[in-house]
Amino acid sequence: MVRRGRIAGALAVATTVTLLAGLLYAQSTERAKQIGANLVCMCGCAQILTACNHVGCTMSSTMLKQLDQRVDGNSSDDLLLQSFVQEYGPKVLASPPAQGFNLLAWMIPGLAFAMGLAVVLAVIRQWRRRFELAPAGGPPISSEALERARRQADRETED
Amino acid sequence: MDLFGSFSLLLAFLCALYAIGGGIAAVRTRRPLLIKSARNAGFAVCVLIWLAMGSLAYLFLSDNFSISYVVAHSNRTLPGYLKISAIWAGQEGSLLFWSFILSIYVFSALFTYRGKHPELMPYVGVVMAGVQLFFLAINTFAASPFAVLGTAGAGGALDVIAPADGRGLNPLLQYPEMVIHPPMLYSGYTGFTIPFAFALAALLGRYPGEKWIHLTRRWTMIAWCFQSIGVLLGAHWAYAVLGWGGYWAWDPVENASLMPWLTGTAFLHSVMMQEKRGMMRVWNVWLVFATFLLTIFGTTLTRTGLVSSVHAFAQSTIGPWFFSFIGLVLVVCFTAYWRNRDYLRSDNQLDSLASRESSFLFNNLILLVACVAVLSGTLFPVLSEWVQGTQISVGAPFFNKVNLPIGLFLLFLTGVGPLLAWRKTSMESLKRNFGWPLLLGMVAGGAGVALGLRNFYVTICLSLCVFVTLTILLEFYRGARVISARSGANIFSSVARLTMRNTRRYGGYIVHFGIVLIFVGISGSAFNQDKQMDMPPGAQMEIGPYRLVHQTFDSVPSVNYTSERATIAVDRDGQQSIMLYPERRFYPSNEESGTMVAIYSTLKEDLYVVYAGRSPETQAPVIHAYLNPLVKWVWLGGLVVVLGTILALVPNRQPVLALRAVAETVPAGPSPARLPMEQPLQQNQQDESRG
Repeated sequence: MVRRGRIAGALAVATTVTLLAGLLYAQSTERAKQIGANLVCMCGCAQILTACNHVGCTMSSTMLKQLDQRVDGNSSDDLLLQSFVQEYGPKVLASPPAQGFNLLAWMIPGLAFAMGLAVVLAVIRQWRRRFELAPAGGPPISSEALERARRQADRETED
Repeated sequence: MDLFGSFSLLLAFLCALYAIGGGIAAVRTRRPLLIKSARNAGFAVCVLIWLAMGSLAYLFLSDNFSISYVVAHSNRTLPGYLKISAIWAGQEGSLLFWSFILSIYVFSALFTYRGKHPELMPYVGVVMAGVQLFFLAINTFAASPFAVLGTAGAGGALDVIAPADGRGLNPLLQYPEMVIHPPMLYSGYTGFTIPFAFALAALLGRYPGEKWIHLTRRWTMIAWCFQSIGVLLGAHWAYAVLGWGGYWAWDPVENASLMPWLTGTAFLHSVMMQEKRGMMRVWNVWLVFATFLLTIFGTTLTRTGLVSSVHAFAQSTIGPWFFSFIGLVLVVCFTAYWRNRDYLRSDNQLDSLASRESSFLFNNLILLVACVAVLSGTLFPVLSEWVQGTQISVGAPFFNKVNLPIGLFLLFLTGVGPLLAWRKTSMESLKRNFGWPLLLGMVAGGAGVALGLRNFYVTICLSLCVFVTLTILLEFYRGARVISARSGANIFSSVARLTMRNTRRYGGYIVHFGIVLIFVGISGSAFNQDKQMDMPPGAQMEIGPYRLVHQTFDSVPSVNYTSERATIAVDRDGQQSIMLYPERRFYPSNEESGTMVAIYSTLKEDLYVVYAGRSPETQAPVIHAYLNPLVKWVWLGGLVVVLGTILALVPNRQPVLALRAVAETVPAGPSPARLPMEQPLQQNQQDESRG
């Protein structure tokens, strides 16, 4: 009974190791793809490394092999990317690192939105104030003015 | 024929100069003869450009290899339709092609408004001729497509050299879509010149009211429609030819085509504020200026190599011409604005935050932020090099991260905006219009999560797509139900009647639905899969539900190229469905190669198979297969956008039934009851026909 239990335990461990090995391998490949999607092929085509397929490219296959080798080495993603930066320069990164001057690239859209929103809100406030200040009553309206207003209302409510 | 072409260009240049000079004199003196003379010079410019274009086409079709440009972009075995597309394959020809498309617009505008709007048209003529003059100047003095190949002979005479054959067309351009993609995109780019010319002319001439807006509405929509087609065809070409598995890489040239589209879209929305309420006059004028400047900037990016791009087919040293022109246009626009800014003063007032007006403000804000994000990302490598001295890349991961939330917010506004009333929307109306769509959109998102959807953006996108689609459907249904109740017609014919009564509004809804479909397609890219392996004949690969079996691998000779082609049988869930033939073509004329992707496309997914060359180790063919879900929805969405725009261009049909009913109740004489109904309609139709 004890022996049978030991065999079952060994089988379970073996199965787990096998499954994990398969899982690790799969993760490694998927990880290489994910990291490769953050790198640029350095042949000058400016395409993403994993997407570069243009005919006669001499760089992408070398870089992809390097990536596979480094992914097998179990370094962290940041270290892996840094190893490419050291070898090829900062241009190898597909997006600018969010630090130093490059942080500006990430901030511009947000700043544009914040500034635009402030302008829109200020404009709305000003327009609303004009509406609130519009005087009530006033002189009698002529039939031409009334007709013009009707036409305007028709136009404005058309769609 | 080359001399004829050169002479036509030179004469067109001189006529454009006269059209500007005569136009300015006409504006100052108001003499009818001068106005007519300047306009006729404008016509002459167009006709002369057509003659030059015809000459270049003839030189290509007759294989005249004494012309440097023909040698560089064509060869004898190139099929005839590709010889036509070779006209715009390089710098010189594409500039002439730009002038050619622009001249069609200019001729149409001059012809449509001949004898009309005498206070406005001389200014318009001057602005249009100014833009034409710029392109003609480049084609005449810096980049002539008619330059002859030759060497200096005895006595300084030119000895013409004519090689036996040309170097052929870039393989990436040897694809049927390339025959229509550049014309469409150029029609978009150049089309925005017309609203620009009218806006600047109205400002310079202080043309009263919103007339220029009415006059240019259709021109703007036509240009926008072409720009949309051009952008989508470009994406489709990238998908089918470049072979990297996707359709949008945020390449600088792709971005260049997207930016004027974004500002043009903002203009098409905000212009309604000016039409209906006389609001946002300054904003609209600057949006038109920005759109025009972005079209010029777009072509500058393509041609100057300012940023590196896989699409830059026509790089050269004409950058200073373009930058000077952009600078000059900016100065003219700003001066015109500053001197006439009081003319643009509008009496803006807003009744409520929950109104169509404020939704347009937010819509414009988001579109402009998207444009800024794309522009800053595109130019940031240049800025970084100037400031830091180091080159960096700004690629797809950056643009995707930045633009995804912007795009989703825009999608939300697509659903909200049209259902808000002008001036003020009541709480009751908000509940009625948005209650069910909002609820069902949330249910759809929840159902997606319950079914295993774990991508945040895709879940939000799904909810928003359902929400926007329902708001659009409800809007059609409500309108059609009223017509159906009145006329007794069934709901489908009522929808048709409703649409034709207000084509602009309902065409706009259809465009919005097309955008929803495009978003559905884009969301599919979150689930892309790919697999690459060496596949000698007999080898198999599985990806998703498909099993690919490499059957044969052969070399196929053709007139203009030889290709290595893999024949791949594809089974889906065990049942053979199709054969795919991915290939790589070698063009001996220029010793270049190109990929031809094989795509099996369904509404659910695309199986996208690339023959990626031979393995260096085993010499076996390498097959790269992608499974791209929902891509077809992007193209379908594009088609719906175009159909919606075309519908919006159709004039409204009068509600005949209602008028007839009124007429029948009052049998004799001119009915006073009809006048109030008909007058606005007639007025509107006159405005429409002017546009």
